[in-house]
Amino acid sequence: MAAVLSVGALLWIVLDLVKMGTSQIDWEFLTSGVEESGRAGGIGPVIKSTLLILMCCLLVAIPFGVGCAFWITEMVSPGSRLTAWLTRSVDLLASIPSIVFGLFGMAFFCRILGLGFSILSGGLTLACMILPILIRTTLAAVQSLPPDLRLSATAMGLRKSTILSRVLLPRAFPGILIGFTIGVARALSETAALIFTSGYATRSPASLLDSGRSISVHIFDMAMNVPNGATRASASALVLLLVILMINYLANYFSDQWLKKVN
Amino acid sequence: MAQESELAAISVRNLSIQYGDFAALQNVNLDIPRNQISALVGPSGCGKSSFLNSLNRLTDLIPGCRVKGEVIFQTQNLTDSKHDVLSLRRQIGMVFQKPNPFPQSIRRNFEIPLREHGFSKKECRDRMVEALTQVGLWEEVSDRLEKGAANLSGGQQQRLCIARALALEPEVILFDEPCSALDPIASAVVEDLIVSLRERVTVVIVTHNLAQARRIADQLSVFWVRDGSGTIVESGDAGEIFQSPSDPDALNYLCGARG
Repeated sequence: MAAVLSVGALLWIVLDLVKMGTSQIDWEFLTSGVEESGRAGGIGPVIKSTLLILMCCLLVAIPFGVGCAFWITEMVSPGSRLTAWLTRSVDLLASIPSIVFGLFGMAFFCRILGLGFSILSGGLTLACMILPILIRTTLAAVQSLPPDLRLSATAMGLRKSTILSRVLLPRAFPGILIGFTIGVARALSETAALIFTSGYATRSPASLLDSGRSISVHIFDMAMNVPNGATRASASALVLLLVILMINYLANYFSDQWLKKVN
Repeated sequence: MAQESELAAISVRNLSIQYGDFAALQNVNLDIPRNQISALVGPSGCGKSSFLNSLNRLTDLIPGCRVKGEVIFQTQNLTDSKHDVLSLRRQIGMVFQKPNPFPQSIRRNFEIPLREHGFSKKECRDRMVEALTQVGLWEEVSDRLEKGAANLSGGQQQRLCIARALALEPEVILFDEPCSALDPIASAVVEDLIVSLRERVTVVIVTHNLAQARRIADQLSVFWVRDGSGTIVESGDAGEIFQSPSDPDALNYLCGARG
């Protein structure tokens, strides 16, 4: 029953988006600029801003997240008070509502660091937001590895860094990819944290310090503030959905390929 | 005594191992002779594995574990915290109870440790072939070196692990119950292999299988719990000890009455 309900809800949302959005989507829509607040033209600059924000976010979050997780598993002795304290703070960080991240980003990145309403500010704010997801999934991936893997590697006189990069990381990679997909989906669909940090300028951003509207902010704006914007909002939402599905599919594909290669 | 120490590959003096407040091992003295098989037997929980782990400093991995006393290997005390553990572990290899090849290709299982210790790709290949031949695995796997080691049978995996240890050309190999996770036939193959290793390396083996110890051991040490912590109660030539152990606990244990 619960399964039918949840699948049903998903189908309803998707079908609704497809019904309302499909007719709007063509090459023109994907590439041309936003006109009349979105009622005409396309979402080209929005897609560009979204990808740039995502890029900033991932470039910062992935090395930090994976590095932090490895630091916790490798450098901090397991079962110690520090480990417990660190994992608890990561969990706490993960449960903070995105609007709070938005306010933090506005105060810290936009004002204190002087980055203003920009793609960079938004990307960095999102990085803070998905960091706990990446840390948590990477931690789970590394901790689920059989302990004798590390033991046998250590017994052969391998350095910690080699054990990490040549023995543990290849094995944990699929798990890290899962964290990556969840993180990307979360970042792509984020609205609240971005309104305050990247802003909602509809022009095409010329640099990372320009303001830019991400696709979810665009959907929000079209649906809430623009009369008769619903169909175009649906079309944008459909694009967002397809992008996330594609990233999911690619991550699955790479993880399968990787496991095949490693095994 | 002095001469004996020179013949010994490893000399252990007054070794004690503590986990927090618990003394797992107290005042252990043992000379492990070169190119012989030294078997460590005794009931569970009497510190045999702790002792074995201290010989290549795997005890370092255990939080709260402290090792006191001396373990002399090549004139150096390897319990000294300044001792280079990476090169030590290359010289004193280890094979575990459960076969634990890296879940990667057979070739990578050799390349990862060998490259780490500075061998070229060509040397890696030569050493891999040599080691796999030594353990009698070369014929079986030479056509699937790129395939995953996880696809091998348990016995093959264990021989792969032994080959991997051998490829580093260690002085000593420590075996922690290497046959107890294998079926009888695979176990016999691995046992024969260990016997054949005696010519090139010193073997220290923990085993719960007394028949196995009787078959392969040159030296035997019986571990027992005394005053709450493990220690060696009897040690010496394996044949003599099996014939007439002097310690009453050792006698009972070896005759199968206790433990």
